Amino acid sequence: MSLTELAADAVPADAEPSGRKIQGRSPFRLAMSRLMHDKMAVASIVVLVLIILFAIGAPLLASWTGHPYGAQYPDIARDSWGLPKGPSKQFWLGADPLGRDVLVRAAYGARISLFVGIAATVLATLIGVVIGVLAGYIGGAVDAILARFMDVVLSFPYLLVAIVIATTFRPHSTWLSLLLTITVIAIFSFAAMARIVRGQVISLKEKEFIEAARSLGAGRMRIMFVDILPNLVAPVTVLSSLLVPTSIVFEATLSFLGVGIQPPMPSWGSMLNDADYRSSLWLLFVPGGLLLLTTLAFNLLGDGIRDAFDPRSERLITRK
Amino acid sequence: MSVEKTGLKAAAAIGTLAVALAACGGGGSNGGSDEGTPQKGGTLKIAGSSVPDHIDPASAYSTVNQGFSRNWALTLFTNKASNNFNETIPNYPDAAAELPTKENGGISADGKTYTIKLRDGLKWNTNPARPVTAADFVRGLKRTCNPASPAGAPYYTDLIEGMDDFCKGYGKVDAKSAKAMGDYQEGHDVSGYTAKDDKTLVVKLKQPAGDFLNIIGMSFASAAPKEYDNYIPDSPEFRQHTVSDGPYQMTSYSDKKFVLERNPNWDAASDKLRKAYVDRIEIDLGQDSPDQVEQQLEQGTADLAWDQPVPTSAIPRLAQAKDKRFRLQDNPGVNPYIVFNTLSPNNKGALGKKAVRQAIEYAIDKVAIAKNYGGVNVAQPVRSAVAPGNVGYDANYNPYPTNNDSGDPAKCKQMLSAAGYPNGLTLKFPYRTNSNHPRNAQSIQANLQACGITVQMSPDTNGNFYGTTLVTPADAKAGKWDIAAPGWGPDWYGNNGRSGLQPLFDGRMYGPNSPDYGGYNNDQVNKLIDQANQAQTQAEAQTAWAQVNKLVMDDAAIVPLITQKFSTYQSARVRDTLFLPAFQTYDYSLVWLAKK
Repeated sequence: MSLTELAADAVPADAEPSGRKIQGRSPFRLAMSRLMHDKMAVASIVVLVLIILFAIGAPLLASWTGHPYGAQYPDIARDSWGLPKGPSKQFWLGADPLGRDVLVRAAYGARISLFVGIAATVLATLIGVVIGVLAGYIGGAVDAILARFMDVVLSFPYLLVAIVIATTFRPHSTWLSLLLTITVIAIFSFAAMARIVRGQVISLKEKEFIEAARSLGAGRMRIMFVDILPNLVAPVTVLSSLLVPTSIVFEATLSFLGVGIQPPMPSWGSMLNDADYRSSLWLLFVPGGLLLLTTLAFNLLGDGIRDAFDPRSERLITRK
Repeated sequence: MSVEKTGLKAAAAIGTLAVALAACGGGGSNGGSDEGTPQKGGTLKIAGSSVPDHIDPASAYSTVNQGFSRNWALTLFTNKASNNFNETIPNYPDAAAELPTKENGGISADGKTYTIKLRDGLKWNTNPARPVTAADFVRGLKRTCNPASPAGAPYYTDLIEGMDDFCKGYGKVDAKSAKAMGDYQEGHDVSGYTAKDDKTLVVKLKQPAGDFLNIIGMSFASAAPKEYDNYIPDSPEFRQHTVSDGPYQMTSYSDKKFVLERNPNWDAASDKLRKAYVDRIEIDLGQDSPDQVEQQLEQGTADLAWDQPVPTSAIPRLAQAKDKRFRLQDNPGVNPYIVFNTLSPNNKGALGKKAVRQAIEYAIDKVAIAKNYGGVNVAQPVRSAVAPGNVGYDANYNPYPTNNDSGDPAKCKQMLSAAGYPNGLTLKFPYRTNSNHPRNAQSIQANLQACGITVQMSPDTNGNFYGTTLVTPADAKAGKWDIAAPGWGPDWYGNNGRSGLQPLFDGRMYGPNSPDYGGYNNDQVNKLIDQANQAQTQAEAQTAWAQVNKLVMDDAAIVPLITQKFSTYQSARVRDTLFLPAFQTYDYSLVWLAKK
């Protein structure tokens, strides 16, 4: 349901003679209203908006501080032993081991984390939904093959395979490494999505409205993508909102291990990898804190969305 | 010749030093004898990471292994361990009775024939004890070109008469048959390396070589007993049956641990270089993390590190605490440096142009690179292809000066523009992902970017970097890489141009696995190298190699970056730890353990 439709809904279609207006509220509006009453979800949205602003404002931060993300200041930001200097007037959140501004890098890192998190989720969702719908609706041999394929993907020790893929196709530019990272994450995330979609489709295709559509002469493609797909919006939304933080952590893990985003593009994971915690605690707390905050916010929001769409389901964290 | 080994000292200084040494009779105060009376006994515990690639002295080519074999496989000549770098440069007779000179008749007038006498008291640890003979040294040299596990150094075939033919024939022998190899060795002679009698070796060179004592003093050329003919060189069986003529013998060998114990036949009185205080040396392997090893040394569960320096992150803490057990040892070499692929067709062959390479010489902030290693206390910027302490070094030579060695990107940009590249370049830069290399790569990338050069970095493993990426001429010619930052260290200090400058810049050697990675070739340089190799005196060698250095730097064949010190830590109870810079290790035969 689009926003314009929602706006239209808000206008009372008709006034009851008694003077009391009774609004017809769609399931989506009901869900949104429940979500907006969920304090944790609202707080998460606020946090995420701030982080998104932080990411969008990265170039501004760079120009305010005068420190582009790749620029190194070995003379002023590192001591004579080569160790990075901590927070100061010039470097608000301190410098990294190469003498770069941690604040600016964290902001650019936010771009990477959010971009990878969302792009990988979108890609995984697309693949997952298409495969799930095909397997669930067509059934038979197609289902058997696709379902086994999902099982195989799910049974891989994903981190090991991800490392093998990332090291085999050593990307020659940071952009390629970004693309590769997103692809690797999507490959290992779509199967869970596909499996759930498949289950939903199997139960949906037995419903009367599908039979009705079929009896009206609708083709397979139309039934799959016009009749069934809209009914998957709720579970897919919930799943993808939870997939975003997973993807962000996945990216951070790969970059931490040195096989994700390649330098000098900053990512929270590679910033953590670069940190010598014993001498420079800010190198741990800045990217680590942001990563924690972002994934927590996405998780709580995802939880809120699930509650809103399906109030009977269990919460990730119980709240009073 | 080895990747990332280490360097050598100004030849001009060497003469002076030798005099100074003679005056004070060796081990000066800087050479560092610890307080207290040396005590015999105890077990020296060494903590190491990987299993050495080779144990057989005929093929062992890593620094620490060559240093290790000094304890049980003596060479004709060697260096003295000391914590004063300059004292480690001169050659001393080890198995030889004296240093051959023209004056004592050891070297012929034309400089091509060496007559080397063995000293008394050399015995194998066999039962009954058997003297080490000149024939054993001949066997040792012959083994360097065995087809099963040959030495990686080219010096012997290049220099010794008849060695080339001997090795060519040996290469055709079945490498899986110990008998076939033993038979070939006993049945064929090297015309230029013969035993005149039990105690006299006669060496004939193709041309004079001022560095021959260093070359024949490498562990490759240590003596080999006839028992070695029973085993395939460096095979597991060989490793179980090593025979010793040094103070220690290997009594147990496995991939996880090896143990040295006293050689009962060793004659302490006749060995001028070793003391052998400890009874037993245990080397425990498999401790891959430098942090883990450092922890053991600090806690005293191990005494010395086998093959790893102090972790970079621990250096500031130890240095600032003025911890006396922490040391930074001189280990000069140009490591790392930036090499240009002069054959690359990328950017219309820009890197083949001298003016472009010269522009890039100005771009790099070498102090920043030094900071990646712990700052200028640990690593110093290098201004030419020769590091301090190596032959050919000239402290006043600084062909591409920048303020405080911190780089001048504006000058680089302007020169690049003048060279016909006003819009900069795009360079492919494979970098190693181990150690400090990712940080170096990012420093270099940022510096070049400031000069208008876009750098495309691609990660590479250390093994692949040296084993494939840089040493495949077809890839270089196809432009698969443009710049790289490898390291290099000579095999010995002193007159070491043959081991330092020549491998990197002699274009006649370019081919698969050549360390002249970028295919640099200049006929004038090659000619000068030949002259420098034949220099008879240190002064001649110094002048000749300094000229090679100058030509190479005029051509901007490489951008020298830094020279590093080697950081060590030791347990509280070890005393008289004296360093062997060429081997990046302490001399275990001089160490003693203080009782608690």
